[in-house]
Amino acid sequence: MRRWEVMVGNKAIAYAAKLARVQFISAYPITPQTSVVEYLAEMVASGELDAEFVNVEGELTAQTAALGASAAGARAFTATSGPGLLYMHHPMHMTSGGRFPVVMAVIHRSVKGMQPDHSDMMAQRDTGWIMLECENSQELLDTGIMAFKIAEDERVRLPTIFAGDGYILSYTAEPVEIPAQEDVDAFLPPYRSKYPLLPGLADEARRVQMEQWGIGQDPQLRWRRQQEAMEAAKMVIREVNEEFYKWFGRRYGNGLVEEYRCEDVEAFIVAMGTIASTARTAIDRLQARGKKIGLVKLKSFRPFPSEEFKRLGAMVKAIGVIDRNISLGSGGITFQEIRSSLYDLDERPRVLGFHAGLCGKEVRVGDIEMICEKTLRAAEGEEVTPLVDWV
Amino acid sequence: MIEVRFHGRGGQGAVTAVRILASALYLEGKYTQAIPMYGTERRGAPVVAFLRIGESRINERDLVHNPDIVVVLDPLLSRTVPVTDGLKEGGLIVMNFPKPGNEAGIGGRFRLATVDATGIALEALGRPITNTAMLGAFAKASGLVSLESLEKTLLEQWPGRLGEMNLRALRTAYERVTPPVDVSGIQALGKRPQEEIFSRDVSSWRIFKPQLDEGRCVGCRRCYIYCPEVAISMTQGKARVDYSSCKGCGICGEECPTGAISMIQEVL
Repeated sequence: MRRWEVMVGNKAIAYAAKLARVQFISAYPITPQTSVVEYLAEMVASGELDAEFVNVEGELTAQTAALGASAAGARAFTATSGPGLLYMHHPMHMTSGGRFPVVMAVIHRSVKGMQPDHSDMMAQRDTGWIMLECENSQELLDTGIMAFKIAEDERVRLPTIFAGDGYILSYTAEPVEIPAQEDVDAFLPPYRSKYPLLPGLADEARRVQMEQWGIGQDPQLRWRRQQEAMEAAKMVIREVNEEFYKWFGRRYGNGLVEEYRCEDVEAFIVAMGTIASTARTAIDRLQARGKKIGLVKLKSFRPFPSEEFKRLGAMVKAIGVIDRNISLGSGGITFQEIRSSLYDLDERPRVLGFHAGLCGKEVRVGDIEMICEKTLRAAEGEEVTPLVDWV
Repeated sequence: MIEVRFHGRGGQGAVTAVRILASALYLEGKYTQAIPMYGTERRGAPVVAFLRIGESRINERDLVHNPDIVVVLDPLLSRTVPVTDGLKEGGLIVMNFPKPGNEAGIGGRFRLATVDATGIALEALGRPITNTAMLGAFAKASGLVSLESLEKTLLEQWPGRLGEMNLRALRTAYERVTPPVDVSGIQALGKRPQEEIFSRDVSSWRIFKPQLDEGRCVGCRRCYIYCPEVAISMTQGKARVDYSSCKGCGICGEECPTGAISMIQEVL
């Protein structure tokens, strides 16, 4: 039976793992770990969830253990945050390289402090993981369930992160609908690995593994295959998003991006995570004042929906991109990727960059209104400077 | 949308209070958001937590800057923390204060309701954890949530004896809280330096104060070793408390093997 509960984001994540009937959970139990694994440990201890819970001695092992469990054919889950995610970096390449559909919750914490920004996940952007970003606790729960279906899809077979901002979601309580277990079971059948590394079944698995690791063939091929899987994931994410809607009545845009009040606008802003949530209020206020600006929420950071931005970019005169990250020495990461997506357009919109919310700096509705107004000025043809601003 | 700000001290349960309130309001069909403000946690340090109450999903993810209601869990906090900052005109303050409200030093175009939540908590729980008492006072003074919803949520949170004890605190404060009175004629306390988390003078954090019976002190140094605030020094083989550094946690009294340290309630 569906039911509602007022819960913090971390509990919503734990519910996603529980409803997905994960069979294996590995976690390093102390800081920077979050209460996600405490809730899961309780569920396992009380018998609510039939899973192997392994306390390990660090995040490097947490990731490696999840990889191993997934290789053996289990549905594996782990969770981490900030510096813990940095410590996982090395085995994360192995998880994606081995095409093991591990699902991991990332509770954003800046690599420079306790408060959230996306620097922890951005440091993993090239590890070959699918990365899905959430703006509220309901979306964390829903995306967590979808993540398994996307990761395990035969066309994808890639590990998947679903992420939310620390504190702003992780410890904030709000009402969340918990789907019925039987619905989730129907939506997400048990994981059946085609190539489990188990005694007796290992020969075929070894052959696939050899191929995945590029042994005896074009050494570049394993990168290429993963890139093809990422491209295929775009379609799979859209399909899973629609199927989720049929079962549970909620969807998140088209799974890759979500347009909010983008009909008949001259400009839009782009945001990820909780900033996108606050931005909805800013857009509501501006449209009430007759301003023609909308919001595009970037939900799938990897694979990056370039085609979507090309399509959306053709419709407007300016785009304001909010980055809760920075690639030092270069700039805002989504700013650059969106600009690059627009290059092939005959008439390109102006693209402005904004750094906001780094190290947990508060992003208020008024800050986003200011971003919108600057973007609108650019849409009207005004030479706005600087091109990239710190909010 | 109604926005509420809770002021308390680490250990008084401000975060738990907003969560309970969010759940209770949800039972009444409201959409809620309970936001704790985490920093470097230190028992006794000033903390804040926020609550938003709306009719549908709340999208704002920033903090509350212009609350409609302020709840103050500690009677001395308002002397160093500007609790009425940003409070809307005509806004309500529900404050833990054992004396008549006009002595609380709160003035301005606000309404003030007071209750001796520390006294009620000590009666009901035996500990100065004032959050559940303040929820009772909030329910009565604001009229935003029913006592029944709070009771139901409390018992879900703490089934059994702990829940019953907290129910007593909740109900007693609900009965004893004063009706809100206009404080626009009252001179507010002047601006004082804002209390810092790493403040050296923590004497205003105390509810209980350690008192040393020198005759029973054997100079074993246990209190000196365990004091988290380095407020105890040893002078001529006896313990000595520096009261400006003592936040009244009571660890020294717990650790003293001869019972030389007793905890005495501070008088406001």
